[in-house]
Amino acid sequence: MGLEERIAERSKELAEKWAVLILGTYPPETQAVWKENRERFSNPVGHAILKASSELIPLLLAWNDAEAVAGALTQLVKIRAVQDFAPSQALSFVFLFKKLLRQEFLKELSAQGSLEELLAFETRVDNLAVIAFDLYVAARDQVQRMRVEEVKRAHVNIVRRANLMASDVTARKAE
Amino acid sequence: MAKIIKPDEMLRSINYTPPATDWMETPNDLSPGRFAYPAKLDKMEYLIHEIPGQFGNPRTWNPTDDDWQLPPNWKEIVVNGFRERLDKYRSLKIFMDICVRCGACADKCHFFIGGGDPKNMPVLRAELMRSIYRGEFTLAGKILGKLTGARVMEEDVLKEWFLYFYQCTECRRCSLFCPYGIDTAEVTMMARELMHLVGININWIMEPVANCTRTGNHLGIQPHAFKDIVEFMVDDIETITGKRLNVPLNEKGHEVIFITPSGDVFADPGIYTFMGYLMLFDAIGLDYTLSTYASEGGNFGMFTSADTMKALNGKMYAEANRLGAKWILGGECGHMWRVINQYMDTMNGGMQGPQMQTPVSPITGTVFKNAKQTKMVHIAEFTADLIKHGKLNLDKSRNSDIIATFHDSCNPARGMGMFDEPRYVLQNVVENFHEMPLGTIREQTFCCAGGSGLNTDEIMDIRMRGGLPRGNALKHVVDKHGVNTMACVCAIDRATLIPLADYWAPGVKITGLHELVANALILDGEQERTMNLRQEPLPGFEEE
Repeated sequence: MGLEERIAERSKELAEKWAVLILGTYPPETQAVWKENRERFSNPVGHAILKASSELIPLLLAWNDAEAVAGALTQLVKIRAVQDFAPSQALSFVFLFKKLLRQEFLKELSAQGSLEELLAFETRVDNLAVIAFDLYVAARDQVQRMRVEEVKRAHVNIVRRANLMASDVTARKAE
Repeated sequence: MAKIIKPDEMLRSINYTPPATDWMETPNDLSPGRFAYPAKLDKMEYLIHEIPGQFGNPRTWNPTDDDWQLPPNWKEIVVNGFRERLDKYRSLKIFMDICVRCGACADKCHFFIGGGDPKNMPVLRAELMRSIYRGEFTLAGKILGKLTGARVMEEDVLKEWFLYFYQCTECRRCSLFCPYGIDTAEVTMMARELMHLVGININWIMEPVANCTRTGNHLGIQPHAFKDIVEFMVDDIETITGKRLNVPLNEKGHEVIFITPSGDVFADPGIYTFMGYLMLFDAIGLDYTLSTYASEGGNFGMFTSADTMKALNGKMYAEANRLGAKWILGGECGHMWRVINQYMDTMNGGMQGPQMQTPVSPITGTVFKNAKQTKMVHIAEFTADLIKHGKLNLDKSRNSDIIATFHDSCNPARGMGMFDEPRYVLQNVVENFHEMPLGTIREQTFCCAGGSGLNTDEIMDIRMRGGLPRGNALKHVVDKHGVNTMACVCAIDRATLIPLADYWAPGVKITGLHELVANALILDGEQERTMNLRQEPLPGFEEE
């Protein structure tokens, strides 16, 4: 059985393990709370982590739909883009899947002399990281854009009044 | 987003598991983006003069500096201030003593749910203060120290307070789940009061407080400018309806004085809600006036100190008396209503003039007995009563392009128990309405993450992570029902929910309740309506 088949067979288990590794990037007290609760609305981060890991493994195996991959990454990337992480930490969750793959398959594949299977599959994970990077930067750009737009909205009628004062002056001149 | 780490740090951080330090040993991270900017010196100097006894140590300071330029006796000031408040407020003493750390609140705060910082678990946030209480004021704490979770006041503790008591929106969702009913918002209020004594503050709160003290509203707009701005909205209403409305300003002898947050006057999209109020008043012929001094329903004093809240609140009765109004009608605002419903009567009830009466709707005759003490009625209650009695001529089809949901604002929901009135109004003016999931609405509503003076742009990351629980629930109804509009009854919500929705549930428009009311409302003698209050085409008029 090739690596891809083995990953497919253990897809659910690997998704859980990947999720545990991702949860490990949060403080211990937080992990305890987030691991326990799988409800979508009271624990959106824990839910998003497991959802992403569960959806991404089949997509990595199929590897034929970049948009679907981006879709499965988006929520978790957006969450980690506004959490208290350096960019490298925020996107580390992708590489944690590599860590998991090596943990689970490296010895075995190495013994069989079929390590290139793992290397080939890891290329997909590297690509996943690049897609995640695009999404991360888009999220950060959006945050900055929202800051500017918010300031503009807050003073919309004040700006309007300032403009009116200018047009009043012009109107008087025209008379 | 935190600071960019150096390459060697990155190598070391290949193990992404954070160190398991005890919370007391976890150092403060004061990187930019983790705190709101401190107050400007001139605002604090002004406030020290105007509202004495609340504020100390005015200076220009920067939280990223090691030296916060505290007064030499700062520790004494804070500890004495703490002692005074423990004596003054029995509730504070109880909240400090009674918590058994059961953890029921731990995962109820939106900042914790979205961000995962353990110090944003309400139990631990309050523990930042409780540990000092034990260390400074209890015998066991003094003797046993850390064994009882006690510690003494140090500069790092003060910095920690600054970080975390300005990551609490005083929304009180955690209190809902506390078996003892500990009001964590009041713990935050006390911590902020103590910080003010030594000059630890944020500008997003203190500048509006200073402006309110001076001119009555957050932006410091003076009466003539206020009048011009109201005229803009009258112009816009004329463009939309063909009717020119008369809006009384500072006129004596009207039955009602109407007070709303100034965000409705100055900021998009609050202005459409304000236009909605004016159109409603015209439709029912309400005998009312606005005031250019009571031109702010919001009260950032609530996020500052009890005495500041009282001082800013006083203008409501003062203007009602000066203008001879019998009762006060209040617009859509969040914390304004917590102040009114929970504190105003105690603080300023004695200011009510003899002309003030229990509010009675002049249109329906309904007596608002719930407002007997304060003489102030929420506009959602007022409008719900009008609709119930069939007094409004409404055409829902003008809102037929809207698939709405309703965000319960924390303070009207948890602070005054107002759940059904706004929903009743909303369902009478829109054709399509869908609730967000249970556990995220009504008394369990999730905060917009910008309340209590945190709706400033420099902490947008904190707001976005705190906004995740609300955004996540909103996204659910977007996907399931195609919701495209979230209505709310709070001016801070109208500002903060826009980026929240953009980020977590793109494509959702934020509106005030009365914007939607006025879209549906048929005025006597109006022209055929082809556009909504935002001057966008109504359904069926897209081509024109």
